[in-house]
Amino acid sequence: MAEELKEERHFCVFGIGEREFLIPKESVIQILDVSKIFPIPGAPDYIVGVVPYKGKILPAIDLAKVYNIERINYLENKLLVLDVDEEKVGILSDITPFFVSFDKDIMVDDLLDPKKLYEELRIKNYPSIKQK
Amino acid sequence: MINQNELIKYFLLDAEEYLNILAEGLEDLENNGFSQETLEALYRATHTLKGSASIVRFNKIVILAHKLEDLFEALIDKKIDQDVTLLNIIRKFVNLIASLVNEVAQYNEEKTEVDSHLINLVDEIISKKLILQTDEEVQEIPSPALPPISSVRVDLSVIDNILDILGEIIVEKNVINEKEKELKYLVEEILKSGKKLLNETSLFSDKYWLTPLREQSKVQDTFFPDLSDLEFDRYDEYHIFTRKIAEITNDINEGLNELTTFLESLFLNFKNLEKEIVALRNNLLSLRMLPIGKLLNKIAESIKDIASNSGKEINIEIKGSDIKIDKPIFDLLYEPLIHILKNSIDHGIEPPEERLTIGKSEEGNIKIHVKKEGKYIVISITDDGKGINIEKVKEKAINKGLVTQDQIKFMSNEEIFSFIFTPGLSTADEVDFQRGRGMGLNIVKTAINKLNGTIEVFSEMQKQTTFVIKIPQSLSITNFLIFKSAGLEFAVPLNYIIEEILTIDDFPDVKIEKIINHKNRSIPVKIFSELYFSSNGKPLERGYIIIFNFSGIRKALLVDDILGVQEAVIYSLGKFLDDLNQYIGYFLSAQGTPRFVIDPIKIFEEEFLFTLPVSLNLETTSYTGRVLVVDDSISVRKSLQTLLEAKNLKVYTAKDGFEALNILEDKNVDIVITDLEMPIMHGYELINRIRKDIRFKDLPVIVLTSRGTKKHQEKAIELGADSFLIKPFDDKTITELLSNFNILKNQYSKL
Repeated sequence: MAEELKEERHFCVFGIGEREFLIPKESVIQILDVSKIFPIPGAPDYIVGVVPYKGKILPAIDLAKVYNIERINYLENKLLVLDVDEEKVGILSDITPFFVSFDKDIMVDDLLDPKKLYEELRIKNYPSIKQK
Repeated sequence: MINQNELIKYFLLDAEEYLNILAEGLEDLENNGFSQETLEALYRATHTLKGSASIVRFNKIVILAHKLEDLFEALIDKKIDQDVTLLNIIRKFVNLIASLVNEVAQYNEEKTEVDSHLINLVDEIISKKLILQTDEEVQEIPSPALPPISSVRVDLSVIDNILDILGEIIVEKNVINEKEKELKYLVEEILKSGKKLLNETSLFSDKYWLTPLREQSKVQDTFFPDLSDLEFDRYDEYHIFTRKIAEITNDINEGLNELTTFLESLFLNFKNLEKEIVALRNNLLSLRMLPIGKLLNKIAESIKDIASNSGKEINIEIKGSDIKIDKPIFDLLYEPLIHILKNSIDHGIEPPEERLTIGKSEEGNIKIHVKKEGKYIVISITDDGKGINIEKVKEKAINKGLVTQDQIKFMSNEEIFSFIFTPGLSTADEVDFQRGRGMGLNIVKTAINKLNGTIEVFSEMQKQTTFVIKIPQSLSITNFLIFKSAGLEFAVPLNYIIEEILTIDDFPDVKIEKIINHKNRSIPVKIFSELYFSSNGKPLERGYIIIFNFSGIRKALLVDDILGVQEAVIYSLGKFLDDLNQYIGYFLSAQGTPRFVIDPIKIFEEEFLFTLPVSLNLETTSYTGRVLVVDDSISVRKSLQTLLEAKNLKVYTAKDGFEALNILEDKNVDIVITDLEMPIMHGYELINRIRKDIRFKDLPVIVLTSRGTKKHQEKAIELGADSFLIKPFDDKTITELLSNFNILKNQYSKL
């Protein structure tokens, strides 16, 4: 049994609009209820604002803007706090995130690699600044 | 002039440092043989030591250092052999310098005579008249006696680290201060309720005490059935109950009084803690502080050299040299100050002959005055040279396309002079450029800006030119002005801001004209909310104008509201928001609200036309409505607040009509729920005032009352109340009521 457990991978499932995404459990450090997001004027549209977190702030990122997903409203937002190499971001989720495990060999769709996501967001940052 | 003793103090600090370098270098040469790198380090140390000693005119040290310098130079250039036996001679020199320095430390003068033989020896070695015999002297020379060390060298980053931690502590302290206020308020509330309770119970028990006992309700004491009734006081259960309540109430009040005393002493502790933290910070900051005189003297020496090289004689007067500045500022000030002074010599001070013919003293005079203004240092540098030709500046500025003929007519002299800080604009003649000393004042301005400082220039033709530099005394903790716009909080560094803040009332047309006339200047105004937000927001009713001073040029920013001044440590916005260079960073308020720090230079220099398409919506739609709850009972306020907040409503609370009116003045409110009986200003009065104010004439008002009687209801309706909520209330009634006013959707009616 113990052997088999090791073969499993753990993911956090969160949702945006009608879509669901998976992200490795290790990179999710906390799930927050978002009571208030402070918009930061001039930020690219996928950064909806910042959220105070442990004496600092987190940028709150809306992946709907990154992946062009349609969504109706924002009211039931949860925020996944990700930490990649000490840099923290918050990812908005329209559903309450939950954790799942899969067998190691099963291929999962809509799996996000946090590092790649970070890269993607960074690159996206530049043109949007330059445009304006 | 700076006093000699102070100069000696600086010299000793320098000497200690350089003697250490010499001793270390010497040891290195001994152990590892000659290396160019070590020799160069030794050469530099000797050179600086010489310079330092020459300022205080310790000539023996100067001569010794000078010779030693020559020797090192010859060794570096390999003019003489890098012979180990030379080390003995070098050691003798260093020893001699060390003992002279020690004498200076003790007696303020050099006592030991310098052996001219030793000096000549070096001359001979250098001119190769003397070739040392390898086996000549192998005598052991003791290590130089270094001056006694009374200080520890600490890396600046260590102090910076401690200051960072202290920054965090100060933030926590601010949080505690805020919480302290809340606590005080809560305790006051409880005390009030406690007194009320005591009043009520004692009144009740007094009244009840007087009512005659009913025979049947007499309590039979089961412990003493033998004793006759007359031997006991006559109590019934109510008597005992009221007594007990009165006693408990007394106990509570007693406890509350103790709590108050306890809190008073706790608050005193907080206050002391705060004082200590401030003292700690000041002490820590002073660790990094150096007297500015040390820097100014160095600069003055090299400027005198430069002056005499260009055939000009100058006097330099330094005042306020004991004022201390932060070490990083100290380092960064050197360049700009040298630039300004060079500029004075090259373009300001006339040659001696010319000065004489126009009736000035032969020697040019430069005054460097330093003074402290609060947390800032003001350095003014004045030369009595020919001044800046304003016509020339105008001409260049127009030629460069910086301003038009028409615009310049309305500019003050100060503003025109400030053009000399623009890159590429110089009033200097071509010849000066050939000499490789363009004005370079743009570099000066950039350097000063980096220090969060400002620079201004004033000049009078043929008479004088003054540069005024204002920099913060310390870089690590800055003061900010906090302002509000579109419900968000922002901060700007205080040092660019001119103290006086204007209100929009005095400049009614500012929003259209975007320019104000203030103190004979016309100042362009940017409207913050227009810079940052799309114009669909509601028009400003209130507004404040903040005036900035950028090196003499005034610019103004119109903001919605000003929240005050805060001291803070700035954090970076992080990887994902770093590209927003209109911000320097952020810090959090005591309530945990982020305050974005605006770079004032950026928002004026560039056009930032950002709008907030999604995010602002999110801000406003995250609440479905805003409710003001007015009740003098904290429990009613709290329970209503919790109930309403759970329904995603923003809740403001007030404990009487007066507070409620203040909140209405300040905040947007969709509906008011008010009690009728309250101290200071009761509910009827509140309703009356709300209805009389044209702004609030349609604002729904619900009366919250425990008195369901017709009379009260009628009176409230008469005054303009819209509906009633009878205490005690439940979730359902509130939801139904609020949905009537479209504040909430009625989930119950759907079912």
